[in-house]
Amino acid sequence: MAVKVNVHATHRQFTNGLEVVPIEGKTVGECLNYLIKQFPGMEKALFAKKDKLLNVVEVYINHTSAYPDELAKPVKDGDEIHLVVMLAGG
Amino acid sequence: MLTPGERERYDRQMMIREIGQEGQERLKRSRVAIAGAGGLGSPIAIYLTAAGIGMIRLIDHDQVALSNLNRQILHWEEDVGRKKVESARTKLRNLNSEVKIEAIDEMITEGNVSQLVDGCDVIVDAMDNLPTRYVLNRCAIEKKMPFFHGAVTGFEGRVMTVIPGETACLRCMYRGPVPQEKFPVIGVAPAVIGMIQATEVIKYLGGIGKLLTNRLLIYDGLRITFSEFTVTKNPNCDHCGPSIIPSLSPSGKRER
Repeated sequence: MAVKVNVHATHRQFTNGLEVVPIEGKTVGECLNYLIKQFPGMEKALFAKKDKLLNVVEVYINHTSAYPDELAKPVKDGDEIHLVVMLAGG
Repeated sequence: MLTPGERERYDRQMMIREIGQEGQERLKRSRVAIAGAGGLGSPIAIYLTAAGIGMIRLIDHDQVALSNLNRQILHWEEDVGRKKVESARTKLRNLNSEVKIEAIDEMITEGNVSQLVDGCDVIVDAMDNLPTRYVLNRCAIEKKMPFFHGAVTGFEGRVMTVIPGETACLRCMYRGPVPQEKFPVIGVAPAVIGMIQATEVIKYLGGIGKLLTNRLLIYDGLRITFSEFTVTKNPNCDHCGPSIIPSLSPSGKRER
């Protein structure tokens, strides 16, 4: 499925500055694997280990939280994934 | 009842249809706990004081350091080494002597949080770390006190308002502890985020507008864009899920 992934500002260093990356995949997990194949630097940015996202990473599909079990959530043509990093400063 | 001095001081905001005299009196009757007198706490405390909140309780254990002054605008060069809550109280009292300022020099823990916020109507998140945010979130849920979350890093920030029992809380999307680090930040970021939090507090207390409930607002200062994401109350949340019996950790340590 043709999906767009919006990359967090602090991760665009791994995508040659690209903010929006066109992706193929039927689930969030497939989409992120596709993203990582194109931009291997994204793996450490997003994942603690295989199939486990870093605790600071949040995933939204069409501006709605995909929590929990984000990687298993299905996506369809035209969907938009936002990858967001939880902030903690103040 | 507003005094003549208050009518003059708040004249311009009382002209706003949504506030008026009734709204101003509601603000005057309100008691707000602000957890943190730093980057977020400074602008929040200043504007809530200016708006005429009846009582503001500022909770912070830190002393003012030079590296605070790029963003913690309640504190000045002459305050370096001074307790933040004392520095804050001086400025806020000079800004608006009508507002009661309680300066609480304490570190917030699971063991003392409930007593620290007792008697207040709402809790404002002006913290600089996640574990204490979760301590506050759980306390807010248990005590049914609205909780106004905000956080920043760099030029970015996020805001969400939690109404216990009704909306998603900060813990609803919890996946596990995150490493605690010194975070980069420039003053204009907590300024924007703090202003949105303060706006939410005023709206809630005044019973006006539409709150950022189940709405996570993310601000990117490098582009001046706001993105909004929908979040939902998690039925299995270990803070606000219905089957949870609240408990405090016996050691009173910060929650991991």
